[in-house]
Amino acid sequence: MSMELSFDREAHRKERLAFVRTYAAWVKRTPNAEWSRQQAVLINSFFENARNMPLSPQVYLERVAMRKK
Amino acid sequence: MVTRNPGPLYNDILFYSCAPLLLSMHIQYSESRIIVDEKYLTLLDRFVLDFIGVLESRTPYVIVSGYVAILFGRSRGTEDVDILIPFLEKQSFAELHHALINEGYEFLNAENADGLYDMLSKQMGIRIAKKEQFIPNIELKFFKDEVDRKVFKDRVEIHIPDRIYISPLDIQIAYKLYLGSQKDIEDALYLWEIFRDELDHETVRNWMNTLGVRGDEYGIIV
Repeated sequence: MSMELSFDREAHRKERLAFVRTYAAWVKRTPNAEWSRQQAVLINSFFENARNMPLSPQVYLERVAMRKK
Repeated sequence: MVTRNPGPLYNDILFYSCAPLLLSMHIQYSESRIIVDEKYLTLLDRFVLDFIGVLESRTPYVIVSGYVAILFGRSRGTEDVDILIPFLEKQSFAELHHALINEGYEFLNAENADGLYDMLSKQMGIRIAKKEQFIPNIELKFFKDEVDRKVFKDRVEIHIPDRIYISPLDIQIAYKLYLGSQKDIEDALYLWEIFRDELDHETVRNWMNTLGVRGDEYGIIV
């Protein structure tokens, strides 16, 4: 079965780069205490979630190795 | 040393004109040292600081790759932090291994100290995490080439306020472009946007030429 895929990879890539520029401009005009506080919310939640992943070190290393191929 | 506080935007002036010093990212920049005041430390920052507290008493180091962009605010997580160290003799590595185990770290690779040392000697990375918490982890490697040695020789001291040594930003930007994944290009662009006014553009251009990459397509124009 063929499926139409309308995702525009190039447009997505450009949008990502535009976001990085916009975000960097926000960081530059925002006090350290504020941008770093907001960043900490994001990063800390990432690690809280990671701690709940039921992976063994061996399985984790296998996944990392596969991603690098 | 240049102190950068680019000043408020127009809207900021309207609403916060009584406290202009708190209106924008504040860093003190020089080629060899960057001070980031009042940074709220993330769990990742604390993990890195704890680890290098053990590492630094046994070997100098330099942090490279994704954490460098994250340290200055890039809005993404990472599973690992890449750290390069000079070659260690086997006994010195055994002592480092022992110290890390004593401080509650574990090596994710299923190897003993001898096996881990063999991996490092073959220019492979070994992964170290807090016991039973494999994310985040450190990927530790010996220097493998002249670029690694240059990165270490010219490492930059960051104060957040605790001291961390990272790769020079000009090399980091060029190297991220060289790696070339979407994530790496975004890291390069982010560092460029944050530090473009402080960096020596000719040095960035030289590193980009050395690594055979260009940044024009992404707006990194040097």
